[in-house]
This record gives sequence, C-alpha cells and structure tokens, in this order.
Amino acid sequence: MPTSPIPLSPLCQLPAGSTGRVCELTGDDSFCQRVREMGFGEAALVTKISGSSTSLCLVNGTRIALNHRAAMSILVEQLPASAR
Amino acid sequence: MKLSAHIALPGRKRTASGPDRAPVYAMVGNPNCGKTTLFNALTGLRQKVGNYPGVTVEKKIGITYSQHGRPIQLVDLPGAYSLAARSPDEAVLRDVLLGRREDTPQPDRIICVVDAANLERNLYLVHQILDLGRPVIVALNMMDMAAAAGMKVDAAELEGELGVPVIACEAVHGRGLVELKLAMSRLELPLARHRWDVPVPIAPAVAEIQASLTDNDARSPLIARAEALLLLTDFDTVRVAGSKPLSSRTHDLLGQWRQRWVAEGTDWSAVLIRSRYDAIGRLCRDVIRRPRESGPSRSDRIDAVLCHSVWGWAFFAVIMGALFFSIFSLAESPMNFIDEHVAAFGTWVKGTMPPGDLRDLLTDGVISGVGGIVIFLPQILILFFFVGLLESTGYMARAAFIMDRPMSKVGLNGRSFIPLLGAYACAIPAIMATRTIENARDRLVTILVAPLMSCSARLPVYLLMIATLLPGDVVPATTKAGLMLAMYALGTGGVFFFAWLFKRTLFKSPQQHMIMELPPYQPPRLKEILRHMFERGWLFLKNAGTIILGISIVLWFLTTYPKHPDPDATATAQIAQSFAGQAGHLIEPVIKPLGFDWRIGIGLITSFAAREVFVSSMGVIFGVEGADNDTTPLRDALRGAHWPDGAALFTPLVCLTLMVFYVFAMQCMSTVAVVQRETNSWRWPLFQIAYMTGTAWLVCFAFYQAGRALGY
Repeated sequence: MPTSPIPLSPLCQLPAGSTGRVCELTGDDSFCQRVREMGFGEAALVTKISGSSTSLCLVNGTRIALNHRAAMSILVEQLPASAR
Repeated sequence: MKLSAHIALPGRKRTASGPDRAPVYAMVGNPNCGKTTLFNALTGLRQKVGNYPGVTVEKKIGITYSQHGRPIQLVDLPGAYSLAARSPDEAVLRDVLLGRREDTPQPDRIICVVDAANLERNLYLVHQILDLGRPVIVALNMMDMAAAAGMKVDAAELEGELGVPVIACEAVHGRGLVELKLAMSRLELPLARHRWDVPVPIAPAVAEIQASLTDNDARSPLIARAEALLLLTDFDTVRVAGSKPLSSRTHDLLGQWRQRWVAEGTDWSAVLIRSRYDAIGRLCRDVIRRPRESGPSRSDRIDAVLCHSVWGWAFFAVIMGALFFSIFSLAESPMNFIDEHVAAFGTWVKGTMPPGDLRDLLTDGVISGVGGIVIFLPQILILFFFVGLLESTGYMARAAFIMDRPMSKVGLNGRSFIPLLGAYACAIPAIMATRTIENARDRLVTILVAPLMSCSARLPVYLLMIATLLPGDVVPATTKAGLMLAMYALGTGGVFFFAWLFKRTLFKSPQQHMIMELPPYQPPRLKEILRHMFERGWLFLKNAGTIILGISIVLWFLTTYPKHPDPDATATAQIAQSFAGQAGHLIEPVIKPLGFDWRIGIGLITSFAAREVFVSSMGVIFGVEGADNDTTPLRDALRGAHWPDGAALFTPLVCLTLMVFYVFAMQCMSTVAVVQRETNSWRWPLFQIAYMTGTAWLVCFAFYQAGRALGY
C-alpha cells in the first residue's frame, strides 16, 4: 500500500517553537548551495524561534536569520513534539 | 608526512621568491569564528591594512614571531563558509589559497580557525582546505563557548582524525596562544591524513579537469584536484580582478562536462556537499559529546527579548537614539576643539608667512580644506565605536534582522541597513561597508542611495540656515530641532524612495534571499573596539583627507584666479572676478527659479568639494560685504543680503529651499571618488551626481514655486 506523501510547508509557516526536518530546497542553485554549505541542507533539523516575515531559526546550535523569500524556499516537514 | 620542500621555513633559504623570506601563514575561517580576534592577539599592533589590487577587498597583513624569534607574516583572509565564492571577499579567499592571484603569493601554511561550539559547519571549509594538500594548523577556538553550551570537544581526538595539529584556544581570553605559536614554529608540519573519495559518477570529470589544470595551468596535482572539484560544482562562481584566467583547454573541458551534467539533470553540487558533510559527521563522531538535554542558552534568552516583535523594536529605538545622541552631542566639544585649533594654526601661518599666493594657498586652501574634514573625525570615531560595540556584542546582526522587514518593502534586505546607518555620520565609510552585501545589484543600489542619508557634513549648512530662518530669541529650541529632524526624515525618505525606484527599474530583480548567522552574544571587548575605531578613523582620514587636499587646492585656485585688476579690491569683488564667481554668474539662470542668486551659486559650486564648505564660502562672500562690523555673525549678514531690486535674498522660503537642496544634492567629491573606486567605474558616480542633483533641483523648484504661489 503506497504511503501518503509527507505534507511539506515552507519554513516561514512553521510555528514558532516547533521543529522540522528540511526536505526540499526550491531556490536558485546559488542559494541552495549556500544553504547546504551552512549545514542547512536536506535532512537538517531546524527549530523555529520566531518570526513570520523574517524568520529566526536554530540549526545545529547556530541561530540563523532568513528573510521571507529564503524561508519560503526551504520546505520542511514538521516533526511531532515527541520526535524532537 | 614531511613538509614538502617548496615551503619556506623559518631560517631556511628559499629560492623561488627570494632568500630568507618570512614564511606566510594565511588565517581562514567562517564568519564569527573569532578569526580576527586571534589575528589581533597574535600580531598586536604590527598590522598593515590595504586592498587587494583591482578589487575593494581589504588585505590585512600582520607580523608575529615564532618561538625562536623569527618573523612570520600572517594574512587575515576574509571570512567565508566555503571556497565556493559568492562575494568578492570570498573570491579573494579562494584565489589566494589556490594561488590564482598574481599579486599575492600562495601561503606557505594555513591556520584554519574553527568555532568549537559549531564544529561540523566550521569543518566544512577546513575539509575543502585540507583537499589543497597544504600544511594546515587547526585553531579550535571558542572552547569556552562550547563548554558553556555543555559540549565537550576533544582536540586530541580531532587531531588524530585529521592528522594535522589541532590547538584548543580561546582567543578572547588569550588562552592557547603559546601552544598555537609553538605549532606555528614547528619546522615540519604533518600533512593531513584526511582522505575522502569524491562520489564515483563525478570522479572521471574531476580526473580530467585535474589533469588539464596540472598540464595547462601549472597547478600542483593536489591543488588541481581541489580546484577541479570547485570548478565542476560551483558553476556561478564569482570572479574578481587580479585572478589568473583559466587556460582555454581547461575552460573548454569544463564547458563540456557542465553541458553533459545539465543534460543529465543531476545536481552534483548537492551530492558533493552531502558527501563532505557525511565525511565530517563520521570524523566528529568521537570528537564531540553533546549534553542530553539542553535548555535555552543565554543568547536564546536575550534573543527572546531583543528579537521580539515589540520589545525588539523598542530596544532598537533606544540604541539608535543613543547613537544619534552620542554623534551629535558628545562629539561637539572635540569638534569645537579641532575647529579652534585649525583656525589658530591658520592664523599662525598667516602671521608667520609673508603675504602672497603661497600663504593663501596654505591657509585658505590646504588648512581650511583639510581642517574641514578633520573636524568630522570625532563623529566618525564615535560612530565606529558604536558600530564596533554593536558588532562585538553580536547585536549588529540582530539590528539587520529587525530592519529586514522595512528594507524588504523597497526590495533590499537587512544587510543594507548597517551601511545606511553609518551614512548618517559619513557616506564614505558607509559605502566601504557595503562590501559585505553579497548581491551585486543590492550592493550597487545601497551605494547609490547611501549619500541621501543626512551626513554630518550637512549639519553646518542646516544649522546656518535654521539660524538665519529662525531667530534664536524668538523661536523655541524644539522648533529648530523639529526642523532639523524633518531634514533627516526627508533624506531617509529619499533613501527608501530611490531604493524602491531603482529596484523596480534599473536593477530590476526579484527580492534576494538573505540568510545570515546571528553570533552568540558576548561581552564587549573594549581593546578590539578601540583598535577597530582607530583603524577606521585612520582609513577615513587617509581616504578623505588626500582627496579633499587635492580638491581644496583646485577650489582655492578657482576662487583666487584670475586676479582682480585692482590689487586693493575687496574679497567679494575678487570672488566675483574669479573663475568660481564667473561660474556663479553662469549658473544663476538655472538656480534663479529656486530663489538662489549667483552668490549662493558660488557656494553651491565650492561646496561640491564638501557640503560644509558652503558655510565658509558664505562667510567669505557675505561676511566681507558687511565688513563695517567684523563681529556681525554670518547669519545677520545673510539676513541683510538683498537682490539688486532690494528684495531680501535669504527669505525663510529660500533658507528652507537651500536646506532641501542640500538634503538631496550630491555635493561631496570624496564620496564621488569612493564610489568610483568601489564600483570600478565612472558611470555610477556620474549617474549618482545626475540623479541626486537633478532631484534636488526638481524638488527645490517645486517647493520654492509652490511657496511663492502661496505667498511666502
């Protein structure tokens, strides 16, 4: 039986305080490369601290600020609180 | 592994670039890893700041000494996350390490500074650098921050994994420096044991490009392999002036492989980054021990307030208020001090030298011109003290984060805020600060609009006009302050309007991605802030002072020649006769619709060198006219000035129009010169003069004519 696709949402829509796993990067090549090189690539865990237009996140212990366009280009799967 | 023979060692003769050359160490690392603090700790005051030829990237070189007392040259390369360059700064880092720059020798050894609290990400750059096969020392910095986060980082284990010396240190507290110097003093350094295999499908491409780089571009095999990896996976790489171009053979091969991969549709860049991170993950398995549960850190708790949607803005407003208060009130006494001493020096020279053109050139040209710039030094130093304080504590990145939203409304992002903030003091350091903006279009837009911010050179003009417009004994100080604030608001509004306009017309591009690391909060390091402050202050004096000196001499010539036929002619008559006076008459038809006469025209022309020159020009032109009474303040002289038909020249409307003119007009030669240097072209500074001065004329025309129509 085929599994249902994981619902993905842009990082800017991840509620503050919740954690997600980066599943897909949709920006241009240069942006994707930079994001991956900063350890923010596919499979990275990201915790949203605050923000809706400009997002503040925690990735691998580093606080990263992303503008709305950047946060829109990072698609994440929200993890349940128990899985963090 | 022994250090290869081509590397210069302390005390060993080197044949390639001269005997006994001090070995060159390059310091590299991610932004915010404490690299500059470590560089300062190692070199002290033995530093030289310059530029890489052809690019506006700062070249910082210092001298330190080995344990045996032999000099070591240390190059502080720009911070970067990767050798895949996205900005001119990063391109210089890459080119220096790969030996692509003809103006800079390839470093003999590389010190990789890494943040122990964020090891995996910092090791990404180290991993790329180890590919180069050069002798590397890893400085495991910020061990205290890692410990504060509950992490245990095992330097010995990391050294075992990498095979290169790993020195644990805390640059801020001076810990680990002796050990680092000992490692730097070693005659032989082991080469990395690190081995990692590139993903199989791209191995043939790497091998082919590597062979071509070795055969056709004279690269050593290991450097060629590292460069091949970069070239194949970093298609949009930034190139800067001064880089050696690739041979046509390598260039063609690269094109063929790229085409093939584009056709296949595989993202090899992503695969490569992932495989590097996998290798780093395996490497760090036994190096880092993390706490099982960790609550919010101190920085998290501070950020909860300072990045809050309400409290964050309130704190930001307080900081900005304190900044403005300091720039405009604390700087007053030292500025008066400089002003008085420059004037006293001018008087002394006047009294000492026999009258003549040489004396006038020195006093009216050189001393008053250069003095006019030096007077702003206290404000510049205070601005840089604040900038240093905000950067050193980690708040500057938060300010950019907070300002991202308003900046995004006009198509820029938070990164442009920091240079624009600096432009309130002076556009020159502000334009230099745009170098950190990655996107070339955003950087250019920021450079183009920055001079619209009301800099401190406009203050004397505003103050004179407000004094002329509003008599001190009648009008309360708050009205004057309100008028001043209105001029600042008008300039800031101009910045946002033109940024918005340029981003929608000339530099049309979708909003750029902004991704920025917010460093952990740290207590301010006063020594470093003061060093930064004086370094920037000196650069300001050097950049602006030399240009102003030249322009002052030219202006002096223009106001002095041709000489009036009557040797006893008044200064006013002489100025009217001079080239500047003739130019004032020439432009009068253009400026008359704004309510300005030829005498104001001279002020506009002379103040093209620097805005504050307007005040001294008015002093010469009108002060001398009312020479019956030398003590008459300039403002009274201005109030007494008339048109030939007897109508008052400096009406309130004209004063306001002049202020508005100075808000918008590009009246600063130093800024023009800096924009030319930063953009490597005359096109943009000329465009800037045209759009700013054109706007000034149009706005003033509308303002003055509307005022007249309303009966003012």
